Amino acid sequence: MDEEYDAIVLGTGLKECILSGMLSVSGKKVLHVDRNKYYGGESASICPLEELFTKFGAPAPDDSYGRGRDWNVDLIPKFLMANGQLVKLLIHTGVTRYLEFKSVEGSYVYKGGKISKVPVDQKEALASDLMGMFEKRRFRNFLIYVQDFQQDDPKTWKDFDPSTADMQALYDKFGLDKNTQDFTGHALALFRDDEYLKRPAIDTIKRIKLYSDSLARYGKSPYLYPMYGLGELPQGFARLSAIYGGTYMLDKPIDEIVVGEGGKVVGVRSGDEVAKCKQVYCDPTYVPDRVRKKGRVVRCICLMDHPISNTRDALSTQIIIPQKQVGRNSDIYVSLVSYTHQVAAKGWFIAMVSTTVETDNPENEIKPGLELLGPVRQKFISVSDYYEPTDEGLQSQIFISQSYDATTHFETTCLDVLDIFKRGTGEEFDFSKIKHELGDEEQ
Amino acid sequence: MATIKIPEQKVILCGEYGVGKSSLFRRFTNDTFVTATDRKSTLGLDHYAKTYRVSDRDLKLQLWDTGGMERVASITSSYYKFAEAAILVFALDNPASFHVLSQHLLDIVTYAENAKIFLCGNKSDLLDDVPQITDAEIEAFCEQCHNLITGTYKTSCKNGQGIDEMFSDIAYQLVQSNRSRLELQSMEQHGFKITPTEETAEDSCLC
Repeated sequence: MDEEYDAIVLGTGLKECILSGMLSVSGKKVLHVDRNKYYGGESASICPLEELFTKFGAPAPDDSYGRGRDWNVDLIPKFLMANGQLVKLLIHTGVTRYLEFKSVEGSYVYKGGKISKVPVDQKEALASDLMGMFEKRRFRNFLIYVQDFQQDDPKTWKDFDPSTADMQALYDKFGLDKNTQDFTGHALALFRDDEYLKRPAIDTIKRIKLYSDSLARYGKSPYLYPMYGLGELPQGFARLSAIYGGTYMLDKPIDEIVVGEGGKVVGVRSGDEVAKCKQVYCDPTYVPDRVRKKGRVVRCICLMDHPISNTRDALSTQIIIPQKQVGRNSDIYVSLVSYTHQVAAKGWFIAMVSTTVETDNPENEIKPGLELLGPVRQKFISVSDYYEPTDEGLQSQIFISQSYDATTHFETTCLDVLDIFKRGTGEEFDFSKIKHELGDEEQ
Repeated sequence: MATIKIPEQKVILCGEYGVGKSSLFRRFTNDTFVTATDRKSTLGLDHYAKTYRVSDRDLKLQLWDTGGMERVASITSSYYKFAEAAILVFALDNPASFHVLSQHLLDIVTYAENAKIFLCGNKSDLLDDVPQITDAEIEAFCEQCHNLITGTYKTSCKNGQGIDEMFSDIAYQLVQSNRSRLELQSMEQHGFKITPTEETAEDSCLC
């Protein structure tokens, strides 16, 4: 450890692993340390099942759960948008070769106590039970507008300037009612609350396009999920970092981040050892005095021996409960994966219900989500704070990632990573630095 | 679309730091050898595939190196995923590297349940008249492992001895044991790889 590095990365969560990979590829000498003896931190998938039960202080699982080793349970539920930022990062870095994916079978939205498939193209819009006959036609026109929209071609804007006019104005232009606005903003554009209505429409248009472009890639739904769980993602990027020279240390407690003149970081201390460095990249848990609490997320892991009703027995699905439907300010998310993803023993399903905490009784807040699931064999509830750095790290050269938020996809995760990389190195990541001539097995 | 895809089998290298895994990897990829540990020569190298012809069928061995992760930390469990074969490497002049093999074996059995396991004693060129690890010891180890080991080899990355033979034999063993499985592979529940091109979506319609 007593060496000098360009960068020391603390924590092996997904964000830190992507950063570590990008830094190593860029030719930096990287030391990557985790206080835990496993990779992934909060973005690990827990295996075997016994460990999950122990973690939550529950008595050991009985035989009906099958082999404990067949389980890989995520602590943070997320899916990848098939055409989203993380998939682009995976492809550009070549990390995709370590992973296999499955398409998530269905995407649903909650309305008036029941769930309906999210309509995304014109055909589905016309068949959907979410809207009345006339509303369907208005929604269809809206979808066509969004699909034809090109940011660099004002002709496709149809006398509407999306960079100044807000989203509410666009909804009004097409005469969409509140219900339609609700599932468009929350189930297609994936906003967590209604703030977006007052912001320029361009952002929402882009998000809806991302949704439909993602859907176009693999069918069924816009979401992908990796075999063996999300914990495979940080590991893939860790390997990328390692093969480009990054050094890995696990099970290493960090006692101090050593700061020198002008508050600039000079190293990291573990016991008597100090590793020198020019920069530190880390998650909030390594620097409690440099982050502030932004909010809380409640997550409930549910082990079940059946799929969710009214989803055509989908082996994987996402259900979004828009805030207004249940009188809240932020959406409730339900995600389901199963044994087909090698994350549970044969016949088992893992559902996860999560939302941003708004009251003193978080458990009660996720009830509408839990009610959709049917009988649950085992439930694990956790409430975690999420943090953001108090400054950009330019002075201290300590670059801190934000905790994982309640969103069910990785878009915000990637934006944070790319932003940190830019702050740390002063430049955008250059994907051409990755060798592709060897080890490219695709034909 | 109609091209016949040569079946590809992931083969991983396991064993202590410094026993010559990267040297084996380097021999496999470009048949060279360097004496000093020079990370730069494998920097950015992930894995490498080579085609072997076994009794009129083609098989691609895709060899993976650890990337040096085992030096201070442990190797990620995802390294083992989807592996069809694992080569347990030790150095013939280093008894310690032989005696910890059971630990590496346990990792393989845990994370790559279906992988065939091969044992490779490397640095055979350093063998003096009195071998540090005897054939009897190797045999005893295989017995203790309840015959989990499919084949044992002695190699020297320095002079190249035994390397080709080993990989050819591994290819042969994989074809023999997987004959029926290779044919069934397409029917199994598999995920897909995401690739940059647009027409990759694997059709797995359930209707």
